[in-house]
Amino acid sequence: MDMQGKLARLKATGLRQDVVLLLLFCVMVLAFSLANPRFFSIRAMANILQDFSPVVLMATGQTFVIASRGIDLSVGSVLGLAGVSMALVIRAANEAGLDPWLAISLGLAVAVGVGVVVGLINGILITYCRLVPFVATLATMGAAAGMSLVLTGGTQIAGAPKEVILLGNATYLGALTVPVIAVFVIIAVSWAFLSRARFGRWTYAIGSNPFAARGAGIDVERHLIKLYLLSGVLAALAGAFVYFRLGSGSPLSGRGGELNAIAAAVIGGVSLLGGTGKLTGVVIGALITTAVLSGLILIGVQPNWQQIVVAALIALAVGIQGLGARGGR
Amino acid sequence: MISVNEIDLIFTEERKMSPIRRMVIAAAVSVLAIGAHAANAQDKLKIAFIPGIASDPFFLAMEKGARAAADKLGVELVWQGSASEYSPQSQMPFVDAALADDIDALILVPTDPDSLQPAVVRAEAAGIPVITVDTTVSDQAYLTAHITGDNVDGGRQAAKTLAEQIGGEGKVFIMSGSPGATTNTLREQGFREELASNFPKIEIVGREYANSQPANATSAVNTVLLNHPDLAGIFAIDGTSGTGTIAALRNNNAVGKVKLVGYDAYKAQVDALQEGVFTALVAQQPAKEAELALEYAKAKVTGEGADKIEKSVVIPNVVMTRENFAETGSSMYSE
Repeated sequence: MDMQGKLARLKATGLRQDVVLLLLFCVMVLAFSLANPRFFSIRAMANILQDFSPVVLMATGQTFVIASRGIDLSVGSVLGLAGVSMALVIRAANEAGLDPWLAISLGLAVAVGVGVVVGLINGILITYCRLVPFVATLATMGAAAGMSLVLTGGTQIAGAPKEVILLGNATYLGALTVPVIAVFVIIAVSWAFLSRARFGRWTYAIGSNPFAARGAGIDVERHLIKLYLLSGVLAALAGAFVYFRLGSGSPLSGRGGELNAIAAAVIGGVSLLGGTGKLTGVVIGALITTAVLSGLILIGVQPNWQQIVVAALIALAVGIQGLGARGGR
Repeated sequence: MISVNEIDLIFTEERKMSPIRRMVIAAAVSVLAIGAHAANAQDKLKIAFIPGIASDPFFLAMEKGARAAADKLGVELVWQGSASEYSPQSQMPFVDAALADDIDALILVPTDPDSLQPAVVRAEAAGIPVITVDTTVSDQAYLTAHITGDNVDGGRQAAKTLAEQIGGEGKVFIMSGSPGATTNTLREQGFREELASNFPKIEIVGREYANSQPANATSAVNTVLLNHPDLAGIFAIDGTSGTGTIAALRNNNAVGKVKLVGYDAYKAQVDALQEGVFTALVAQQPAKEAELALEYAKAKVTGEGADKIEKSVVIPNVVMTRENFAETGSSMYSE
């Protein structure tokens, strides 16, 4: 009896998407490290974590939104718009002779503000104007991308004080930058909200059955607006982190980033039908998609093939997920 | 009002016309049309200028040059282009709109040599002179002129400069923009050709694409520096890949140690050149291209100075370094 219980539990753990992905990730790391030992180094890890940060932030927002049976296509454009808005503010503050840390705080506030505004618009369009999430966020995606071009005239916005680059690139313990540490904190808090708090339970309830959720007394509209707000703010923070890394804001930054975020979420086991999805899986999903690119460069795979390898990886991960679901039933 | 019968009659009449008479009438109609056109043109020449993509800083610099030239020449400039992407399908609607408008000449930056050929054919049918700028179409017979930047030459210049800066030997890396952009492929071709024929001791260790995302270039260069700690030089083929490469060099404390040749001379890049992050920049001359195109367009339509039009003009690139900045600094693009 006890033995059987343990076995069943072991089997259930083995079929969990995040565990499967973790194994896949380990296999990948092993394979790349054997092909080129440089992959297994602190510096390679530092690079991967920097690439991983914006993707995982957008994917985290996406996980909440998709779990509620929605989608947020605007995250990539929000990343770009937040980045250039911040770059413009910091450049102006810097030219005006403001203290660099004050300028950075101001810029960060403006970036978050951009996320709040776009997130709110998404939420209101979806709840009160009754647009389907795909259409509402498609509209804001275009508008935000256009706004970045209007604000910058298409040029990159440099003129950041040294402190910006320092903040984005100085490493601690060899691999951790301030933004990377912040990202881990954000992931931990989001995980607690999604899987250990009422906020997450409501999100899943709405995603499983919005009518039942409303019947159970959940203020669905209010909750959905909060979810899109969260997604917008996380994307804006991703924009801020990219800006810290580069020391300049590009209006094209983030274009297509929404697809990377959705891919990470889907690899992580989030179902586009809503109601399910664990953040642990998504985090590993984002780690896999970013690490694979670094690895492919290190083993000398031609860039045009890299996209195909990533595509195959998505199919593989989602395929395992399908098998797992069938096996578990 | 004309009755249906009368219309019938007119058509029968026309069918009966002799070919000679028909030609005479056609000629008369064209003369009238040209007369009307000329009368209109006396107000102010209207010239449409369709850039490859309106939001790109390169074309913004070109727009600045075009507007200044239009003011100087006293012509009306209609500047319209896609804000979203450099591609024939986004450019076509703007070309269509320009041809439907009452314009005297069309200046076009074809986003693809074959896909934009039909637009030139339609302009020819409407008797509108066409000048291509920066890139051109595959059949140049009808064009009044084609004024191009030379991307292969730019790549060669970049190779020569980088080779000199690294002392003629060592490992170099190409950070490209996008596999679909012809300008990038041509620059890379020139770069590779020059190294292959004149610098056998230089090895190209790889090439990656930024795909419009500076952060992609940063990751790629970080990884390449990890794999080749003795990397001597990088050719960053466009503005985006340059920005991303700079971040990676700073990250790895490799500024100055790894020589970096960039393309284009926007203010941010020129600042980086003066800081010593870029060791050289290959500058094009977008404003000059636009200015010449407008001069030619006016000359072609009015006939004044039409004999001075050269059918094929290649605007040379300028290699900008910290050392020669006093002479080359004026090639910085206006923003």
